[in-house]
Amino acid sequence: MESLHGLGTTTDWVVMLIYFAGIMLFGSYFAKYNRSTNDFFFGGRRFAWWLISVSIVATGVGSHSFIKYSAKGLEHGIASTMTYMNDWFFMPIFLFGWLPIVIYTRLKSIPEYFEKRFSPTVRYIATIFQLLYMIGYLGIGLLTLGKTITPLLPQSFAILGMTIPVTMMGVIIAIAVITGIYITFGGQTAVIFTDLIQGLILLLAGLFVFIIGINYLGGFDKFWHLLPPDWRLPLADFNKPPDFNFVGIFWQDGVAGSVGFLFMNMGLIMRFMSAKNLDEGRKAAIFNVLFLLPISAIVVSNAGWIGKAMLGLVPSPLNANVNPDEVFVAVTHIIASKGVFGFVIAALTAALLSTVDSLINAIAAVYMNDIHAPLKEKFKKTFGTKESETKKELNAARIASAVFTGIGILATIPFSSYPTVYEAHGYFHSIFTPPLVAAIFLGAFWNRFTTAGVVVTFLGGSSLMIIGARYPGVLITPIAHGVPMDPVHPYTYISALYNTIVCFGVGIIVTFLQDPLTLLVNNIKKIPNHKIYMSGTVVISALLLLLIWFNIGGLPFLLLTSFILVFFVALASVYFLKFDPDSHLEGLTIWSIDRAKEIFKGGKINERDGEIIKVNWKLRNDAEEIINVSIKDMERMSAEVGDLVYISDARKYLGGLKSVHSRLGEPHNEDGIVYVGIENKESAQFVEGKILSVEKEL
Amino acid sequence: MPSFSHSWLPFIYLYGVGGIFFIAGMILIKKAKVLNPEKKLDRRWNWLLYFGFFYYMAIHFIMIIAALYW
Repeated sequence: MESLHGLGTTTDWVVMLIYFAGIMLFGSYFAKYNRSTNDFFFGGRRFAWWLISVSIVATGVGSHSFIKYSAKGLEHGIASTMTYMNDWFFMPIFLFGWLPIVIYTRLKSIPEYFEKRFSPTVRYIATIFQLLYMIGYLGIGLLTLGKTITPLLPQSFAILGMTIPVTMMGVIIAIAVITGIYITFGGQTAVIFTDLIQGLILLLAGLFVFIIGINYLGGFDKFWHLLPPDWRLPLADFNKPPDFNFVGIFWQDGVAGSVGFLFMNMGLIMRFMSAKNLDEGRKAAIFNVLFLLPISAIVVSNAGWIGKAMLGLVPSPLNANVNPDEVFVAVTHIIASKGVFGFVIAALTAALLSTVDSLINAIAAVYMNDIHAPLKEKFKKTFGTKESETKKELNAARIASAVFTGIGILATIPFSSYPTVYEAHGYFHSIFTPPLVAAIFLGAFWNRFTTAGVVVTFLGGSSLMIIGARYPGVLITPIAHGVPMDPVHPYTYISALYNTIVCFGVGIIVTFLQDPLTLLVNNIKKIPNHKIYMSGTVVISALLLLLIWFNIGGLPFLLLTSFILVFFVALASVYFLKFDPDSHLEGLTIWSIDRAKEIFKGGKINERDGEIIKVNWKLRNDAEEIINVSIKDMERMSAEVGDLVYISDARKYLGGLKSVHSRLGEPHNEDGIVYVGIENKESAQFVEGKILSVEKEL
Repeated sequence: MPSFSHSWLPFIYLYGVGGIFFIAGMILIKKAKVLNPEKKLDRRWNWLLYFGFFYYMAIHFIMIIAALYW
């Protein structure tokens, strides 16, 4: 396998620099819409579905990347699209189960859900797992960026007589610094708007590569028949080879990956939360999965297919020993002229940056909400006025973004041992996703799921996963569907099935054992010094965890250890963690969404159908966050005093940029006029003389 | 000609096992009344969710036929 270097010409670099400068300036402009951490992270919950949908393209395409799908397109053909086209199975429970919970409970992070649904202790455990998941994801993104940019650079630079070699790690660090700039100063609104532009450019650039590639080969018919028959199929072979098989990828990507991406990828969830309302978030998701994902599948994979077809030409313009992770760059370099090559690479790199910046933003959100805020609350620290506090929180968010970027760089090291990014990503999903997926799934859809169940899902489930990774031949082979075991990277994909089973399994079993465990704990409480004994079970559990992590003893011993661990953790959870069904279930499971809406509104909801009205606006000289419309306009909206409303600039192409959520105050008699307070006006940045639309939400 | 394990078996598994997840999800959201087919808007969403399932199934079916016979 040969690695490429020095493909970029001066023209290409000039085009790339102009592209990046333009994108960064564009992003920085939107920083003015950040008035609080809510705006910084969630874009103020104001945008239209189409804006969200297109901005998701850049995140989704970037994260799955041109690099890894082109590599698999070269190695295995059209089947490289299958991971883009297996996301529909979980859409019903995502759109109607999880999304309403996330929006109506105003979740700022996934770990926050675990505190509301279970207890603060569970939140801390979930935070660790969530941060590991997100930092791992960031590591994959940065590694992919390094693999994209490195082939464009020469093997070394000579500066002041010194020769500086170009290494992938050096490239990753340089790119991470650039990424940090606009995410740090722009926030989520900047991300959404730069992603809107990048998403569109990316789709066009990818389709452009496909069209000029087909043209280069002599037409679609020629391209199709240059591909070997097995390369034309849309799904991989059922269970072989180990590095790309259907059944493994179905469980790793179609199940663990899809649920993980939809339910716990805060980068994605924050996009949906920045939609103006639930229905708009659903529309964005549906449009994305039905239309943009199939197009994206072609966009990201086609360079690999074109590359495979090129290998069938005599003589082949593509080196047969090309590194699969570099085929996108190599093929584009062959078929595109100078400058155009630079533009395509800039679009690709920008998309990757998009994924990375979303992730950094999301990781910082988790830090701010799940570490910074609880610590601040614990030490009851307030430093000044509300305004200065908000400013300090924004600064803390920016510093957190920079620190996690550094940690993300370190996370690239373990993933770089895999032959391709695709396999590194597959392995990452198999390992990091199942505990969180099982915990969220059971928590959101099963009222009976207990605090002991969720703690055991995290600690017991992950312990059994570690044992499975150590003894795959014994524990994973029986459920591997005949996938051969690669001794170097055993069961990269199908291990997700084993991991999912053990995480769900221990959580469900412990939940069913809640009554006998409670009985046992009640009996223990009758023993003198019971608290000391129970504290001992926590210490023993920690020691058992260490035994498993350090692989002390053989398989039978480790399995026995993990069962004892599960028992002790469950017992300690029932003893120490209080669970009140009234407060821990209300509005937090699929069975109580209406209650979630009431909590969201702070009163009885109003879901009567009403009109969206168009009005002129006048400023009310107070900062109260309410609006006033006429009695007649309220009737048209079927609205009442106290209802939640969404007011936006009526120009649809703004996609909700100039908008704000507010509440209806007492009506007046001036039809066609809305009175807006100073705070609402500043937040939405309404323009004088422009018509507004007012829409009742709840 | 590609083997059955590369052509139709993955298709059957994808929409068989994936179909179980999908149907279970549909039953769950209806039972929890978060998707209520008696409401006009929800009827549209209900239709759209089933449409999406068969839409992807049709795309994969056509792609396999094209790979095998074109």
